[in-house]
Amino acid sequence: MDGSFLLPLLIGLPVVGALLVMVSPKGEGGLARMLGLSFSLITFLVSLGVFAYFRANLGGMQLVFDTVWVSSLGIHFKTGIDGISLWLLILTTFMTPLTLFAAKGSIDKHVREFVAAMLLLEAGMIGSFVALDLFVFYVFYEIMLVPMYLLIGIWGGQRRIYASIKFFVFTMVGSLLMLAAIIFLYVTHGQVTGTYTSDLEALSNLILPHQAQVWCFAAFALAFAIKIPLFPVHTWLPDAHVEAPTPGSVILAGVMLKFGIYGFLRFAMPLFPAGAAELAPYIAVLAVIGIVYGALVAFSQDDVKKIVAYSSVSHLGFCALGLFAMTLTGIQGSIFAMLSHGLTTGGLFLGIGVLYERRHTRRLAEYGGIWKQMPIFAGLYLIVTMGSAGLPATSGFIGEFLTIFGTFTASNFPGNYSIPNPMLLGAFAATGVILGAIYLLYMFQKVFFGKLDVAKNGGLKDLNGRELAVFVILCVGIIGMGVAPHRILKSMEPSVQTFVRNFGRGVSEPDGPARLYGTPVPSQPRAAKTAPVAQLGVGQ
Amino acid sequence: MGLTVASALVVAVTALVHYNNIGDREVVLFNGMLVADKLGYLFSALAAFAVAIVALIAGPHQRTHAWENGEFFGILLLSSTGIIMLAHAGDLMTIFLGIETLSIAVYVLTALRKKSARGNEAAMKYFLMGAFATGILVYGMALLYGAAGTTNLAAMAERLVATPNLPLTVAGAFLVVIAFGFKIAAVPFHMWAPDAYEGAPTPVTAFMAAAVKAAAVVAMIRVFGTALGGEVLPFGTLGWASPLVIMAALTMTAGNLAALKQNNIKRLLAYSSISHAGVILVGVTAMAWARPRRFRRWFYVMAYGLTTLGAFAVVAYIGSKDRERLLLDDWAGLATSHPGAALAMTICMLSLGGIPPTAGFMGKFQIFKSAMEVYDGQLLWLVILGILNSAVSIYYYLKVVTAMYFKPVAQPVGELHAPSQAFVIALCAVLVMAMGLLPSFWMGL
Repeated sequence: MDGSFLLPLLIGLPVVGALLVMVSPKGEGGLARMLGLSFSLITFLVSLGVFAYFRANLGGMQLVFDTVWVSSLGIHFKTGIDGISLWLLILTTFMTPLTLFAAKGSIDKHVREFVAAMLLLEAGMIGSFVALDLFVFYVFYEIMLVPMYLLIGIWGGQRRIYASIKFFVFTMVGSLLMLAAIIFLYVTHGQVTGTYTSDLEALSNLILPHQAQVWCFAAFALAFAIKIPLFPVHTWLPDAHVEAPTPGSVILAGVMLKFGIYGFLRFAMPLFPAGAAELAPYIAVLAVIGIVYGALVAFSQDDVKKIVAYSSVSHLGFCALGLFAMTLTGIQGSIFAMLSHGLTTGGLFLGIGVLYERRHTRRLAEYGGIWKQMPIFAGLYLIVTMGSAGLPATSGFIGEFLTIFGTFTASNFPGNYSIPNPMLLGAFAATGVILGAIYLLYMFQKVFFGKLDVAKNGGLKDLNGRELAVFVILCVGIIGMGVAPHRILKSMEPSVQTFVRNFGRGVSEPDGPARLYGTPVPSQPRAAKTAPVAQLGVGQ
Repeated sequence: MGLTVASALVVAVTALVHYNNIGDREVVLFNGMLVADKLGYLFSALAAFAVAIVALIAGPHQRTHAWENGEFFGILLLSSTGIIMLAHAGDLMTIFLGIETLSIAVYVLTALRKKSARGNEAAMKYFLMGAFATGILVYGMALLYGAAGTTNLAAMAERLVATPNLPLTVAGAFLVVIAFGFKIAAVPFHMWAPDAYEGAPTPVTAFMAAAVKAAAVVAMIRVFGTALGGEVLPFGTLGWASPLVIMAALTMTAGNLAALKQNNIKRLLAYSSISHAGVILVGVTAMAWARPRRFRRWFYVMAYGLTTLGAFAVVAYIGSKDRERLLLDDWAGLATSHPGAALAMTICMLSLGGIPPTAGFMGKFQIFKSAMEVYDGQLLWLVILGILNSAVSIYYYLKVVTAMYFKPVAQPVGELHAPSQAFVIALCAVLVMAMGLLPSFWMGL
């Protein structure tokens, strides 16, 4: 057994779970919750099985599963993981049961539909993280939107309809241009080589003319920039976060935002290296603007959820910057920061959920001095907040440190790839860390310290068993990642190295001949020049 | 109703059997008046299937909306004769006959609710515009005959290769484009469609949107694919490609923009159908370059037809008890009271909006792929425009979903008893998903 069946199984399990939940008898929702929780837990266990099969010392794709899906179009259902997607996959399967478990307090109507939507969302996310075929990726990437749209729209707050439509349309506009680029690639590969395929490995062997690369990269970049979200296309995020119910916010921030960075890593940059090199300076600058801008806007918010939402804009800016720095450290930091952001921001949102369930308000002014009432919650929430602010010994510190360090050292990449003035960008990014610590601690202080001056807060109850379990698990994760990051960093290192090497080759290589159209010419696989590592390292 | 469904299914099965047996052969019948090939049998089967579905929707609708008419079913079957004739047309004359058989039957269907003022207005508009279009069609055909000296499509192709740029040919092709533009409600010849769609009884609207449109498409494939281009004449030589391209761009965009502000579900679907006609036109244009009989891209026509039938079936179902319930406000909270219908409608809306993994997405992928293949990327801009239009369209399709799922119930919809409609809705929803998830089977058809 080579374990290749595990990845399709991981996608299938939540779908089966969702179908079972939908046909389960209508009732209090207890059965639906139990089904949902068990299926997502089984999914998590299976993902640990994937982990067991994974060989950390290899840089390529592993557990590759490949079967024909649409034969007449040459589209394969192809999945696989490397050291990068492995951890994001585990983040997904870890956060979903946790969120479902925590959701008991916040979701009490249409429970069956809620659980089914969450499971479908999980299937979509897993599928997107393991897809090795552009078409398959696009399908899963879009599937994710529908359950999230329903989550915001049905269980959300006051302006949920506006927020859900804005979320859907924003993301859709971006991904449709990506679809145009995907079709373009697909058709071009068909016309140049005679075989129609949307296989990622095959397509990355196609050398596009410079101009085509720039346009295609721009189309992909828009889709992923909206998802990250990069300044100035971030405006959907605060609305979506504020209106979404707690589980929706947790999954949105915890996992879904990662698809932006992941998309750049897995698709946009390997497919169009020259295009990426051309546009990287702009993206790096936007990322830094996002870091500072998100932090500054977070300052002035009165709504706790908005603070965390804008902090996401800031934190994901780090990830983008680290990635485009194109150093081993920077990219590792970027991925690590994504994982850390999943845990810490997920935790922040869950904590806000805890407060909201008790008081039904998210205004800072309504809180203060809560530490006395909820000491356990306050203690655990402090760890989460510190993790988000990047305190040493938490996961956030490692991520931010590595991205900034990686940015400082980004100067000697082969070819004509560079981001402008890495020192300056790194310095600005570092101010984001300071600002982040300030607004997060300000938020914490406003909520938990000071006098207990709002009478209603007098009767607040501390965490119940379920909430306690959730926060303990999260805090263990945050501190564990902060104290012992090596395991994660080591296992992604070969994959990141492969990525950097292939990207470097793509950038330094002269433009391919303009043979986009016209007589078919067999493609010359780029990998042929430097033998052992195939493009993307697939199939090692 | 039962008899109609049965006979339609017999036709469908027969067509599919022939479809399987004929392979890549092309059998010419009646001196070239009719052609039996895969394309023809496929569309015949589709037409018969659509008739069966429409009949199943119409049965309960007639009872609850007091327009019980036995002749409805007869005329419905008659109109499908027209479609089948079009599907197998090998001659301009057959095309004309087919279009007239179909159109006259549908005019009558539109007007069947004699007491409804809206219905009469709709039928009148539809009839006048249709007659006008027929006139233009005949005029164009006459010019084409003048240029080629024959009305047989295959023979015409051969003769036009010798003298491709005759002014007569260009003018004739141009007029034929306009006539078909009327028939499929392409901008700027679409004005009649929203009123006709709204005024016609819902089952008839479903038939107009799905089957009549498919019929016009297959006629276009025959004329533009066989006689005026396709394998024989290069892209655009006969002067019909550019007007068609412009028409496609306008149709997609104008249809979508107009749909944005509709609050009446039938009008919304009418404008949506106009924009889909634009997408189909992109496919027809691309056909000028590739072999028209490789009709994987007509998967889109199947997908669109099925989805539209499903959507209108839900409209008919929801309005079946007391009143029509055409305003979106009437649909508020439907997900709570009728989760099945709401789910099916959501699937249809996602499919029309082109969201995977539905039939509509696969179809759009096909169409845009074939347009991208036209040489030198001449149609790249059209593809991007089409894709941007999808983004716009999502907004109004989501309006329907939003009303059903996110809004509190305003006008409660009571218990509904229309098993045949419920069956059709479920069937369409399942097929739309099946076509999206396992497209190979349907594309290999």
